[in-house]
Amino acid sequence: MGTSAAIGLSDQGVGDARQAGRIGLVDYVVILAQLGLVLLLLRQFQIESAAFLRLATLAFGGFAISAWLPLRLRLPFFVLLSLAGIVVVLGAENAAWLVAIGLGLIAICHLPVAFVWRAALLLAVVGVLALQRAGYLAAPWSEAVWPILGAMFMFRLIVYFYDLRHEKAPASPTQSLAYFFMLPNACFPLFPVVDYKTFRRNYFDDDAYRIYQVGIEWMVRGVIHLILYRVVYYYLTLAPHEVTDPAQLGQYLVSNFLLYLRVSGLFHLIIGMLCLFGFRLPETHNRFLLASSFTDFWRRINIYWKDFMQKVFYYPAVFRLRKLGTEKALVIATLYVFIMTWFLHAYQWFWLRGTMLLVVQDILFWTILGLLVVANSLYEMKRGRTRRLGAPARGWRDTGVLILKTYATFWFICILWSFWTSESLESWFGLWRALGGSYSLEILVYPGLVLAVIAIGSLPGDSLRNVRASAVSDRVWQRSRAMTVASLVALIGISVEGVHSRMGQEVGTFVHSLRSGHLSRLDTAKLERGYYEGLLSVDRFNSQLWEVYMNKPKNWLDVDNANVKQFVGGFAQTELIPSFVQSTRYGTLSINRFGMRDRDYDLLPAAGTFRAAVLGASSVMGWGVADGETFEALVEDRLNSEWAGGEFARFELLNMGVAGHQPTQQMVVVERAFEFQPDAIFYVATGREISRATDYLAEVIGQRIDIPYEGLRSIVERAGLAPGTERSLARARLEPHARDVLAYVYGYIAGEARRRGVVPVWIFLPQVREGAWQEETPETIQIARDAGFVIINLEDLYGDQPIDAVRLAPWDDHPNAAGHRLIAERLFDELSQHRGTIFRSARQ
Amino acid sequence: MSGDTDFRKEVRDFILEEFLPGENPDELTDDLPLISGGILDSIATLKMVLHFEERYGIVLEAHEADKEHLDTIRDIAALLASKRG
Repeated sequence: MGTSAAIGLSDQGVGDARQAGRIGLVDYVVILAQLGLVLLLLRQFQIESAAFLRLATLAFGGFAISAWLPLRLRLPFFVLLSLAGIVVVLGAENAAWLVAIGLGLIAICHLPVAFVWRAALLLAVVGVLALQRAGYLAAPWSEAVWPILGAMFMFRLIVYFYDLRHEKAPASPTQSLAYFFMLPNACFPLFPVVDYKTFRRNYFDDDAYRIYQVGIEWMVRGVIHLILYRVVYYYLTLAPHEVTDPAQLGQYLVSNFLLYLRVSGLFHLIIGMLCLFGFRLPETHNRFLLASSFTDFWRRINIYWKDFMQKVFYYPAVFRLRKLGTEKALVIATLYVFIMTWFLHAYQWFWLRGTMLLVVQDILFWTILGLLVVANSLYEMKRGRTRRLGAPARGWRDTGVLILKTYATFWFICILWSFWTSESLESWFGLWRALGGSYSLEILVYPGLVLAVIAIGSLPGDSLRNVRASAVSDRVWQRSRAMTVASLVALIGISVEGVHSRMGQEVGTFVHSLRSGHLSRLDTAKLERGYYEGLLSVDRFNSQLWEVYMNKPKNWLDVDNANVKQFVGGFAQTELIPSFVQSTRYGTLSINRFGMRDRDYDLLPAAGTFRAAVLGASSVMGWGVADGETFEALVEDRLNSEWAGGEFARFELLNMGVAGHQPTQQMVVVERAFEFQPDAIFYVATGREISRATDYLAEVIGQRIDIPYEGLRSIVERAGLAPGTERSLARARLEPHARDVLAYVYGYIAGEARRRGVVPVWIFLPQVREGAWQEETPETIQIARDAGFVIINLEDLYGDQPIDAVRLAPWDDHPNAAGHRLIAERLFDELSQHRGTIFRSARQ
Repeated sequence: MSGDTDFRKEVRDFILEEFLPGENPDELTDDLPLISGGILDSIATLKMVLHFEERYGIVLEAHEADKEHLDTIRDIAALLASKRG
């Protein structure tokens, strides 16, 4: 059916369209051309993952075939395509497991026994799966299956079973399979809770061409959300300790809430893709930044979730309780919905991550939001709310009131959101100390921007939503289509390097950064910390870091940070366990009798031996490589094979790296190193030294650990801190002194070495991670130089190497064995160049 | 009242009076999406259900308070007609 024929479909016309689902050749070509552009856009901006690009290619290719198939074959074709998508993303074996488990669950729903028995059996099977997910029972399939299996079944099974209970028309097996295994799900653990009834009911219930076109519009809108998300994520987010004045507080609150754009972007992409196969699903979000009350916010953000809760929990409760009176029923049912929302959030976390999420912020957030929505609902119940059939004719006064209400709601939600996403209650309360900071005109930036966006967004427009596209007027339809194509072309155009590089260096760099998905500087820092602190909560949602962790198998490497270290008290707190041996998936990890991840040595070097102590953290220790594969061991071997017998009879490099040790702790390690009478100290830095040194100092202050260094005590005093000061507050107050902390640490290490005739060498080892981690490097090099270290900078070590070739895993940013070999080669070359400066005996 | 047309008029009048005062009745067509279109939210749906239950002495089930049964005036009228037998 051509465009013109589809305009203004009557009921009969809709029926015809549903039966035919056809599209004219010209319209088909127009859709295909736009899909080509969307694919290019996804590629240019590296939207989500490489797997998603493959999936999108499969989906768009599938559309090209599906659009010409007879209607009766399209759903089976969609099922086949969906199953192929699972294979593309998970591989054949994992896909087979996932489909088998899924088929088992669906089959239980249809057993020819009473519903109560089916429900009991379903609960029993889900219980066994939960035990497997939690690791109490072994599962023969890969860890990668769980998040996708969870995303497909954890909520949809509830909806499906509910509908099965009440549905009069039986579902066909094809519909069931299409519903559970729907195509884009293989790539997205966070997936909108699509309603089963709507999924079936809206299938090709409008002109096919217009359904497809709406799908493209939503996908483009999704990409725009995701690009905006990157702007916020890369450039605007702040860590709580960086919030020191009211202007930064405004930035923190707004950027923190806007990170939600990632969810809204992904949901638009997902539903847009489903539209290509005739599923005319409703919108997932409705301009949620413009909510003018709490109930309005609940209705606009994640609409599918709201609908799911309404259908499965709210209405059954409110209908059952209506004898108590409408108001009482409404209050109880609404609170019930919010309690269940909290519970299901923890339930979702369990299936995706395998652990229960019980965080006080989560409970309080849903409680507060629930109470606000109840109060708002009671108000609406009594006073009503304004509804319009078309563009409202509002006067200036009404528009002004609406803007004010929206503005107030926005900020309230931002504050509530910051509470929800905070790492701890202390951290959140600590934020508000920024109000005591300095006031400048910058304080107006975010409130002004927000007001402008809300004012523009509040201009009267058509208030009706989710009408069939065929019922939309020609003029509106053409305008919307033109906007989509223009956005596509503009975004693709600006993504071309030849275009954005001509817009000046700053714009070019900015656009270039938006073209790839990587961790922000804050999440990179969190990832670093994750290894050191066994971070439990990571970011609880809406974070790329969360996804990185989600993919990390349990018992990764068969040993964790805590297993290899022991608590020894004092300023350093921990050290490696002497004589510890463990087999890991990357070979044996052995600690010698002195607590070094190294072969055994005598306490004192033999005559004619050159000995260096290598200080650092996990990369030095050799996290994820076998004994003898660390760059330290490789360099030592090479020194002995190529240089031994010359000036020195033998070379010994003592690996004193300890996973998780921060620069500040190295002051203790270097004291220990001197006991082994080294000729040189190789201090290996891997980035963000200033922040990490200061983080640790804040930690020891919080834990009331004695600080045995006069210089550090003096900094603590200048920052106005006392032992026991809460960590986030201590960190914020140390921020202005962060450089001094590292300068003291480096000065201490280099000074103590020089005093003993030991050569201090500072080696910069680049991290094997994407994203921002370099921002402190130039300043750190300068501090090391000022402290008197011999500088060896390996910054360009990996050159054009693909990161996956030298990294252990996407969730473990340590060099693998190949990475260690590269480091060793380059370090040996650098040591050769500095031979005269470094290789001198301290004992002569 | 027995005809589907009568129910439609009744439903339209109720919605106009209760939720859309001052709006042009001609724009409230029988097939306009009310739930997915944002006119009937959960509170409005509840009010409407209670009103018609009382008006016709019928009982609606929780699972019927959805888009399939209540999204348009036509759907609502059909549901009421079926309940009235």
